[in-house]
Amino acid sequence: MNYDFDWFYVKKGFPQLLEGLWLTLEITMWANVIGLVFGFLVALGMLSKVRALTWPLTAYIEFFRCTPALVQLVWFFFCVPILFNVWWSAELMGILALGLNLAAFNAEAYRAAIQTIPSAHTDASTALGLNVFKRIIYVILPQALILATPVLITNGIGIFQQSALVALISVEELMYQGRYLSTQTFRPIETLSTVALIYFAVSFPVSQLVTFIEKRFKRMVV
Amino acid sequence: MELDFSFLLDYSDVLLKGLLTTLQFVTVAVVLGLIWGFILSLGRTSSIKIIYGITTVYVEFFRGTPVLVQLFWVFFCLPLFLGVELTGFTSAIVALALYSGAIISESFRAALKSIESVQYDASIALGLPASTRTLFVILPQALLRAIPNLLSNVVSLFKESALVSAVGMADLMYVGQNIANNVTRPIEILTAVALIYFAVGFPLTRAVSVVERRLLKIVKV
Repeated sequence: MNYDFDWFYVKKGFPQLLEGLWLTLEITMWANVIGLVFGFLVALGMLSKVRALTWPLTAYIEFFRCTPALVQLVWFFFCVPILFNVWWSAELMGILALGLNLAAFNAEAYRAAIQTIPSAHTDASTALGLNVFKRIIYVILPQALILATPVLITNGIGIFQQSALVALISVEELMYQGRYLSTQTFRPIETLSTVALIYFAVSFPVSQLVTFIEKRFKRMVV
Repeated sequence: MELDFSFLLDYSDVLLKGLLTTLQFVTVAVVLGLIWGFILSLGRTSSIKIIYGITTVYVEFFRGTPVLVQLFWVFFCLPLFLGVELTGFTSAIVALALYSGAIISESFRAALKSIESVQYDASIALGLPASTRTLFVILPQALLRAIPNLLSNVVSLFKESALVSAVGMADLMYVGQNIANNVTRPIEILTAVALIYFAVGFPLTRAVSVVERRLLKIVKV
């Protein structure tokens, strides 16, 4: 191998990459907001045992879990504007598709967590005269959040990585900027490696945090 | 907005071919990934620090970066590094295999770690040499316990395989987008593509949970 590395363009284009990273983080954050909130609602719906509710929700979860995120994203990008006659930006479409994808995965995490809450808690809530909403907000939600935290964070980083897909519908985030820079400068090795390292630099600490939290949990439970 | 799904029939051959390409990618990547993943997991459980360090960095790196980035990296950079032309197919396979090795190795590692130390003690008490212990006591149990995770790795690989369309491989996703562009009927065609993916992905996911339940009965972890 005789390749001359030239990092000049990467240095020069670094602010551009950082701008892309910023957008990536923004997309990740909003997708996570949708995923965390909507995922919890879906989980509640799934546990409600009302057929009219569980059926469509199951279909939603299974559909989003069993098809590629790329297909969902492209579908949203091309079909939602035509079907619903709304013309939103590619960025918003990306956030929506990723958010709904995340919500499907998070719903499963919440559901598993809620199911481990002993039924005695429900009985206690009834004995204390809490109504359904109070029970959900003050008894179920806090416990479900804590129990599901490791999985929720893992799913969250997953979406951070999946967010690279929105580059394909030309949202100018990190991946897009990296590709742009590499084709502009004919320096794919330097630029794409830098992009990979930036992604890694963000997701690695977070995944370490998950391992740390999981260890703590084990100690708490045992 | 009128929907007309009937024209899809004209394209059923092309779509089927795309699906076959997708399945081909997944199969090759899974087979290579199983071998590579098992080797990596041995490295990850090794007591030799250098081997452990290198394999850990590898696995963390491939799990910590988007598959799309890896794909582009292999596609554009590997030929430059090696100084040889790689076909698009080879690059895509290499990228998927490198990634699947990393995620599969984690399943193997978890399975290896879940085997109780009693098993090791018993092997020593029975006077089994290290090779017999690994091959006949540890490996069969590890494989059995890894099966559900391995299956879900296959599912996620199946989904990630849609990415190869981004480097111009004519898989299901690529074919679908191509037709959608040509006939300007994205809704019908993209929905059909999503449904085809679902038709393969859903039974696979079901299989994972069935196998998991069956195994729980046998292994009683």
